[in-house]
Amino acid sequence: MPESTGTTAYVTINDQPAFSTPTGRSLLATLKARDIFIPSACGGHGVCGLCRVKVLSDAGPHTSREEALLSAADRLAGMRLSCQVMVERDLKLIIPNDFFHAREYKAEVVALRDLTADIREITLQLRSPPVIDFKAGQYIQFRIPPYAAVRRFTERAYSIASPPSAHNRLELEVRKVLNGVGTTYIFDHLRLNTPVTFNGPYGNFFLHENDLEIILIAGGSGMAPMKAILLDIKERSIRRKIRYFFGARTRDNLFLLDEMQSFEQSLPDFRFIPALSRPLPEDQWQGETGLITEVLKRQLADQYPGEAYLCGSPSMIQACINVLCEKGVANDRIYYDSFA
Amino acid sequence: MKKTDVPNAIEQTLRQASATREGFLGPDSRSLAAILRADDKAVRQRGLTHARIAKQLLALRQAGWKGLGELVSVPPHFEVRVDAARGKLPCPFGDPGSFAKVNTTVCNLERGTEITFTDLNIHLIAIHGFYEGRGAPFRLDPEQLMDTLEMGRDP
Repeated sequence: MPESTGTTAYVTINDQPAFSTPTGRSLLATLKARDIFIPSACGGHGVCGLCRVKVLSDAGPHTSREEALLSAADRLAGMRLSCQVMVERDLKLIIPNDFFHAREYKAEVVALRDLTADIREITLQLRSPPVIDFKAGQYIQFRIPPYAAVRRFTERAYSIASPPSAHNRLELEVRKVLNGVGTTYIFDHLRLNTPVTFNGPYGNFFLHENDLEIILIAGGSGMAPMKAILLDIKERSIRRKIRYFFGARTRDNLFLLDEMQSFEQSLPDFRFIPALSRPLPEDQWQGETGLITEVLKRQLADQYPGEAYLCGSPSMIQACINVLCEKGVANDRIYYDSFA
Repeated sequence: MKKTDVPNAIEQTLRQASATREGFLGPDSRSLAAILRADDKAVRQRGLTHARIAKQLLALRQAGWKGLGELVSVPPHFEVRVDAARGKLPCPFGDPGSFAKVNTTVCNLERGTEITFTDLNIHLIAIHGFYEGRGAPFRLDPEQLMDTLEMGRDP
């Protein structure tokens, strides 16, 4: 490998030939300039701790942010936060192959629709590049520009709700988070025709190819990846038994009911099982009631032979995993995308 | 608190924090030391400690966690809901670890008051006696907090 000068360093990734790069930028920015996008929920401010890469060479001392966000074992193993490493010398990196598939995309907001009081659907028309390849269930990092009192760019992760076949038009379903940087922008500032930037796709949450029965479990905006997976299953004519459990508080918190119930006609063996934990009298609810874990216990046979896909809050996911294990679902057949 | 470079650096971090919408101090023009002193006084006047308040917040958070994102009734007359969003936040004071973006909302049904706090709030109160600056999105005014939780004697 050539040696660095004061203004140029050489970076080697996964034993591929080194490339030269100007010094003085963060490793995250350096990689981005090479079209290598490392997931980062905070936009490179040393807050989220997601932009981890393995550095095999000396990259200087860990910053205080890294000491706070990386465990001692991770630091010992060479893990670094790429936003915290300044490229000042030659570096040798290991980066997961999945990350090389991610790209930055320019798009435009072509539709906004409120699905509930706190869940909004956003439709993005891709402009450049004009198409994206992804697996149903994956997510993107949406770039939030400065607005109001927010002075810097940041990024937030949102699951794709549309199928991979619609590769020039993405749908997202975003739940409003109290005082959240990303969702306040999306609910209060994002308008039709606004140009937006995102990068991706990311994530290991997608349908595994086999013949097993499928349990889907979600709540709130956890609907997004499930919808993408179901549309993908329908388009690819996959004939597997599917049961989809969706938890909400009242009837007002349910959304896309017609679309989900339509899968009962278009898929060979599908049932949508919405459950309300606190139905109101005016809901006139005839369906399942109780927490989603209680519904699962009632509906799922012992020694259930299938696999399960979960998306939602960490508490919901952990509680459902416990029920699934009680019902005999193998741990390695439970896949989840936790909001954590 | 005597002003030194270290508190200045922390104060700058708290004002600029990019992880939150308006930093941890919001538009509050008081110094960090003044904010800490005023909130500490409010808590002491009720015969409480920051640790006790944080312990009660944690207990309510744990009770609400069982609701899987839905409302849970907690005696004597609270309703608690715990929500989670993607991501984690580090302590702005530089403590090790990071805190999941978990929001706990507690409604006092008898008083008709409500507070929302994060896992990071619990840590900041327990370890630093810090309730954030006035106008910051996650400021927990100690008086309102203690009233809602029905903690401590009347001042």
